[in-house]
Amino acid sequence: MPFGEGENIRDRESKVMEAITSEPRDGSLSSSGNDACHRGEKVIIDTDPGIDDSMAILMAFQTPEIDVIGLTTIFGNVSTVDATRNALLLCEVAGHPDVPVAEGAYEPLKGGEPRVADFVHGPDGLGDISLPPPLGKKVERSASEFLIEKVNQYPGKVSILALGPLTNLALAIKKDTSFASKVKKIVVLGGAFFAAGNVNPACEANIYGDPEAADLLFTCGADITVVGINITTQVILTDADLFELRCSEGKYSQLLSDMCKFYRDWHVKSDGVHGIFLHDPVSFAALVRPDLFTFKKGVVRVETEGICVGHTLMDQGLKKWNSPTPWSDYAPISVAWTVDVPKILAFVKDQLMKP
Amino acid sequence: MGESKRKKIIIDTDPGIDDAMAILLALSSPEIEVIGLTTIFGNVYTNLATKNALHLLEIAERTDIPVAEGAHSTLKKVLKVRIAHFVHGSDGLGNQYFPPPQVKAIDQSAAEFLVEKVNRYPGKITVVALGPLTNIAMAMELDHKFSQKVGQIVILGGAFAVNGNVNPAAEANVFGDPDASDIVFTSGADILTVGINITHQIIMTVADREKLAKCKGIFAQYLCKILDCYFSYHMDAYAIQGIYLHDPTTIMAVVNPSLFTYTEGIVRVQTCGITKGLTIFDNTVKRFEGITDWSNKPKIKVAVTVDAPAILQLIMDRLMNS
Repeated sequence: MPFGEGENIRDRESKVMEAITSEPRDGSLSSSGNDACHRGEKVIIDTDPGIDDSMAILMAFQTPEIDVIGLTTIFGNVSTVDATRNALLLCEVAGHPDVPVAEGAYEPLKGGEPRVADFVHGPDGLGDISLPPPLGKKVERSASEFLIEKVNQYPGKVSILALGPLTNLALAIKKDTSFASKVKKIVVLGGAFFAAGNVNPACEANIYGDPEAADLLFTCGADITVVGINITTQVILTDADLFELRCSEGKYSQLLSDMCKFYRDWHVKSDGVHGIFLHDPVSFAALVRPDLFTFKKGVVRVETEGICVGHTLMDQGLKKWNSPTPWSDYAPISVAWTVDVPKILAFVKDQLMKP
Repeated sequence: MGESKRKKIIIDTDPGIDDAMAILLALSSPEIEVIGLTTIFGNVYTNLATKNALHLLEIAERTDIPVAEGAHSTLKKVLKVRIAHFVHGSDGLGNQYFPPPQVKAIDQSAAEFLVEKVNRYPGKITVVALGPLTNIAMAMELDHKFSQKVGQIVILGGAFAVNGNVNPAAEANVFGDPDASDIVFTSGADILTVGINITHQIIMTVADREKLAKCKGIFAQYLCKILDCYFSYHMDAYAIQGIYLHDPTTIMAVVNPSLFTYTEGIVRVQTCGITKGLTIFDNTVKRFEGITDWSNKPKIKVAVTVDAPAILQLIMDRLMNS
């Protein structure tokens, strides 16, 4: 049984799917009528869905203060092609088949086969629960072209939530030298600051996915907030919370509960955690509820060689160096330093259980 | 304490103002018996480290203790002739330009001396490494059983989950020879490493120095002469009116290990790139997918907490009663 649950849930899911996929997808994007009816902050989500990405995306669509003007896709939890499929599907599930999905890079800046974490999110990236294929299609532009277009169309107005490796953003910066100054804000889920990584003791998965891109982005001068796994691993949706979610009237609670099974079982095996880390939802919270965090400013560089490739290192500014270091003369970025765990958890649960 | 119960230690050192304090502290600690000093580049270049080590033994009237000169270059043969003059003065001892020592270093190299001693007293020697780890790595190359025969290696090195002191990534001793550090940390020897995340908690204040200046202890009097330079460096670099007691704290980890707690795990050192000298500790709690560069390496002890007031008190007491 694909959904692993009773007929009841299955029926409900297919009804949801039917309802949402009947709306046409406007592949031409940026329909001005659509923009006019949204008053919220314009956000593009760069994503590799991914189970926790799915949560963040569905949360974003349910947040009135946010106007999701597009999704761009990247490898990471899945391949880029699968990320695009999943992004299209999630837009449809959320009742926004009109939101454009632009496919991103297939490999990191330096080339080569990307690392794909199918052991975390299942072979399809969405917990292997046999979801149907999306009806809509990606737009023709690449992710970086789409990012450049939107940032130029609305200078100073578009924020980016980056939930995967940073290749698309780096390509946008390389192609358009004014990108960094025109983007409003970039919130990145990435890095492990003064804490162990999750790929190996030195590095976190998103940064490891494209260390060159991450180093380029962090030093580009844009307004950047980065949320590392030192923060996100503090926010755990426990088995009890997951049960509560399943029993709730939340619009997507059944779908997310089903997806989460695979993800939760991996957490038990990998971290001894009976629950799931809310990496992407916490990063989304950093965009819309920065008041639930404290931040520290400092220059962040990424190692691109050796056994610590992908390590994020922040100069906390506690010492005056007697000679220039590789951190000297770059613009500082905001690094999430503390998080109000109970309030973030309440925020995430509230969003996910919203009918 | 009976002679037989005292820990035999060899101090591998690059004096250095806080090395000087550490050596004098070791010589005034009844729990330990210093059976030799070996020298290394770091705060100063190796020739000067040897000269300063001999000088310090003259000050302490302990010229019976042998000094063996160590490597002049890193394992990768990078010659180290730099002096951290802005930290320790251009003579390494606070610009005091003491007369040259009358005694000489022994003919053996530091690595040969270390190998000889651990073979003579297998399991009984504690090596206290206060500088870059080149000599220790060379001893391990010279005698493949060195890491099993040495009792313990207590290291001042690394910056665990904090910024470094050479640059944001690296602590000075590990940065001095990252390749040697990686060899030593993964050698399988019984190792305790004390990083600057610990030693930055032990601060001698201006008031403490005044106490030293007022007492009659010979070592206290000597140290007061050389500390000025070190105090001004800390004011300049860290904006603190005090000095970090890196090397003395490491000696205290041998004298009274109960003032520290540590966790066991695998430490690897980055040997290239912008984070060269970065120390990454795998506490082995998380189960990573597949094999990592930390997998299947021997564990070492990494100091994680310290009773800072007790350590400072102990250091002050020993120096004032010298």
